[in-house]
Amino acid sequence: MASRGVNALASRASRIKHKLQSALEASVLEVEDVSYQHAGHAAVKGSTNETHFNVKIVSPKFRGQSLVKRHRMVYDLLSEELQSGLHALSIVAKTPQEAGGS
Amino acid sequence: MARSLSNLLVRGVTGLHAAHSLRTVVSGSLYQHGMRYSTTDDSGSHEDFRPTTKVVNSGLSTKDIVEQDVKENPVMIYMKGIPEAPQCGFSSLAVRVLKQYNVPLSARNILEDLELKNAVKAFSHWPTFPQIFIKGEFIGGSDIILNMHQSGELKEKLKDISVDN
Repeated sequence: MASRGVNALASRASRIKHKLQSALEASVLEVEDVSYQHAGHAAVKGSTNETHFNVKIVSPKFRGQSLVKRHRMVYDLLSEELQSGLHALSIVAKTPQEAGGS
Repeated sequence: MARSLSNLLVRGVTGLHAAHSLRTVVSGSLYQHGMRYSTTDDSGSHEDFRPTTKVVNSGLSTKDIVEQDVKENPVMIYMKGIPEAPQCGFSSLAVRVLKQYNVPLSARNILEDLELKNAVKAFSHWPTFPQIFIKGEFIGGSDIILNMHQSGELKEKLKDISVDN
């Protein structure tokens, strides 16, 4: 709960990582800023900064959850970001079994 | 026939479900593709004589409109742009996936209407677009629809929906 102020200074990518990592106990967590790929499209004018991300998460918490539920879990964890300029997320959400891991 | 009706759509007139007497339009239009607009019921009132008001206030809230959209249209997509001219890669992808199936596709452009955009987000509790509903059920965004298409799940979901519906 502490260091919210410090978090605000970090990049959105690192904030996303931080918010997802512990809540989802992710064994794999990749966050990629692909905002540049969407530069110039409608509703992003004036800001190509930290608006679109690819996120890949492998987490045991996804077990038994439909894709919609998994994505909702991610969105809920990132609701602050979504209200402050995060525009879109491409989400890959797998359980350790699905990812072919141990 | 279909061409002149789609022209009507472009001019912002809806009300193409002959079975419904009153249809509220948000500032955008409801696009219907591959759907037979007229029923074979010849009740004597031709669509050309229907009033062409763009916005009809029947007291329906935007939330009501969303509920109506997903209830009445077997495949409903809220997207950026329109199916013929998507304005976002994710919306474009979703439309391309859905068009592989022989199903009617109804769409609203949420870029045209902020109130609609917010109402849809609140309705589905989902923060991004596109948003696809099939038979009234929220399915997800473009990632999910692509995934379901690749796994065959989407074919299953759409199998009892045809263009004649």
